[in-house]
Amino acid sequence: MPRKTYDVVVVGSGAAGGTLSARLARKGVTVAVVEGGPRVNTSTDFNTHALPFEFANRHIPTMRPGKEGFDTERSRGLGGKTMLWNAVAFRFSQRDFKGRSIDGAGEDWPINYSDLEPYYASIEREIGVCGNLDHLKDLPDGIFLPPVPFKCSDVIVARGAAKLGVKVIHVRKATRTTPAGARPACHYCGNCMAGCDVVAKYNSYDVHMAPAARTGNLDFFPDSVVREVVVSKENRVTGVRYVNRTTLAEGEVHGRVVVVACACVQSVALLLMSKSRLYPTGLANSSGHLGKHFIPHFTGGVECFLTSLIGKAPVNDEGFLDHAYVPSFMHERKRDYARSFGIQFNYQNRRSVGWARSIKGMGKAYKEAVKERYPAFLTFSPYGEMLPNPESYIDLDPEKKDKFGLPLARRHVKWGENDRKIFEDMTRWSVEILRSAGAEILSVSKEPRTNHELGGCRMGSDPRTSIVNADCRTHDVENLYVVDGSVFPSASEKNPTHTIMGLAARAADHIADRLKRREV
Amino acid sequence: MADEHESRREALKIIGAISVTCAFPFSADELYGQHTHLVQVQPAAQTGPKFFQPDEFRLISRIADLIIPRTDTPGASDAGVPLYIDMVVASNERQQQVYRQGIAWLERASRQKYNRAFLELTEEQQYALLEPLCDAADRGEAKSEGERFFASIKSMTADGYYTSKTGLIDELGYRGNTVLPQFPECTHEH
Repeated sequence: MPRKTYDVVVVGSGAAGGTLSARLARKGVTVAVVEGGPRVNTSTDFNTHALPFEFANRHIPTMRPGKEGFDTERSRGLGGKTMLWNAVAFRFSQRDFKGRSIDGAGEDWPINYSDLEPYYASIEREIGVCGNLDHLKDLPDGIFLPPVPFKCSDVIVARGAAKLGVKVIHVRKATRTTPAGARPACHYCGNCMAGCDVVAKYNSYDVHMAPAARTGNLDFFPDSVVREVVVSKENRVTGVRYVNRTTLAEGEVHGRVVVVACACVQSVALLLMSKSRLYPTGLANSSGHLGKHFIPHFTGGVECFLTSLIGKAPVNDEGFLDHAYVPSFMHERKRDYARSFGIQFNYQNRRSVGWARSIKGMGKAYKEAVKERYPAFLTFSPYGEMLPNPESYIDLDPEKKDKFGLPLARRHVKWGENDRKIFEDMTRWSVEILRSAGAEILSVSKEPRTNHELGGCRMGSDPRTSIVNADCRTHDVENLYVVDGSVFPSASEKNPTHTIMGLAARAADHIADRLKRREV
Repeated sequence: MADEHESRREALKIIGAISVTCAFPFSADELYGQHTHLVQVQPAAQTGPKFFQPDEFRLISRIADLIIPRTDTPGASDAGVPLYIDMVVASNERQQQVYRQGIAWLERASRQKYNRAFLELTEEQQYALLEPLCDAADRGEAKSEGERFFASIKSMTADGYYTSKTGLIDELGYRGNTVLPQFPECTHEH
């Protein structure tokens, strides 16, 4: 078989890889998407509408019997985490890009809001994002489909929050609330994170890559776990080597440009694994900063019952999980820490009643207490921005390997003083808002938990302290790009996916221009 | 991570082993042709407990029914909770120890206080023996063998009952997992 050289080889097919590869293919660029997991049929392979009692151990597996995928971080499936995400799509604000200039902590991004604004807009037009025009300084509006109405419980929380001067808005999600083409509007079954079988919720395969593949410019290499990005003596990457997920056979894909987009931790791991004479500590790591500045979001949580709903008849309010959001409000208030937090809430699913074991007592009174609280249960999950610190980083396990013989990635997280202060304050505010809404508190998280992995290949203008430049191109290798959450120099408190997609679209335009000018 | 994989593998193993008929109405299937939700599983005969001896099984069934009794709605045994507990304990050695020690503790306590086996006590006497254990478990301070056992069986009874069709649909009134043409706006007076 003749050796084919693609214009661009993309490792990973999630929000970043999917957005970028589709945009390139539509511009006439030939793209190979190399994905560690299998092809997944959105409408038939997930246990979207299953209920716990269909399974003896009451645990709903992600996949239907006999369907593969989503078994390890390295072999999820075409579409990556967008298959199972909750679809929250927020634009960052100028404040999020220039945090250091504002409060002196963390890092600035080398780009401004205005650099990404056209890409946010372009993506909103392509994929459909619902939301309300709220005219907030810190959470820019976008081009929105109609928002979904609040649940009863959202109305109650919003009223409680308003008494404290805190605003509750409609959440913004990449889920269609009106039909378009093959995608129907959301049907509010509440199973978004079990895989949306009708693609009302965006996933990168059905919405971006599959249509783009019809151009003939996009080829899929599923079941191909990339083990190395290959760099030549001339300091250019030439493609990737992979291991077949099932046969373990080795293979290669060649390209003029390589884009690493396999989600924060695995992108860092792949570069760390790609050692060579030129890069003995990992590809594009001449700065020694690869894996450093790991800044995942941290979340807390309050479980409660809204007293005005206790004893009410249960209603079908699964909706599309959370319908409302508390945007960051601390920027305008006096506080003793840098950055802030936002609050997602009410995304519990009423088929799960794990809280019942925490209700006190036994017998008839216990049974009644659970039943009357069932319609009133509500979870509150504030998300805080972590600042980078030297003890929070990603590296490779020196001993443990996975079934492909590849070293496992390790996450090291140590909470700094600022993180602790945010955690305490966001927990305090959560409890206060809920009390103001008339809630009976069931539990309050005492320790932060990580979510939304970010950092590790941070973007910056100084090659001595960052891995990629403002275009997501590595400082070290001029035809190697990293595009995903790993490039975030600071995290914001907002969900990152929309910004990851914006960066991917922007990097795609940049790469297409360079290919056109024959720079690579 | 390892635990999660284990439990998933466990889940897949178990799917084939029992009868699963989902009678929940999926109007989704009527609206969207691509919905193919039907759990096709070989029906198997309902079998007895795998781990517990018959006398132990009677005891844990009784305790589950004291935690969630039959009222005007079904209780724990009606919803198959004892077999659920047996399934969980059968695959967890640590829990096997908790249950065996707890059962022995409870029988000792019953004979000491009432000079009878637990199952021969009146309901009031049974509750009187269990309530201090329940209080300790609710405070998160289960220490003795009896308390640790009770904390465990209460959690498993709650989990098993409220994830059963009886508990989730009939008792609690779960209404989700359906197709709505639009999301109904809140019109309640709160």
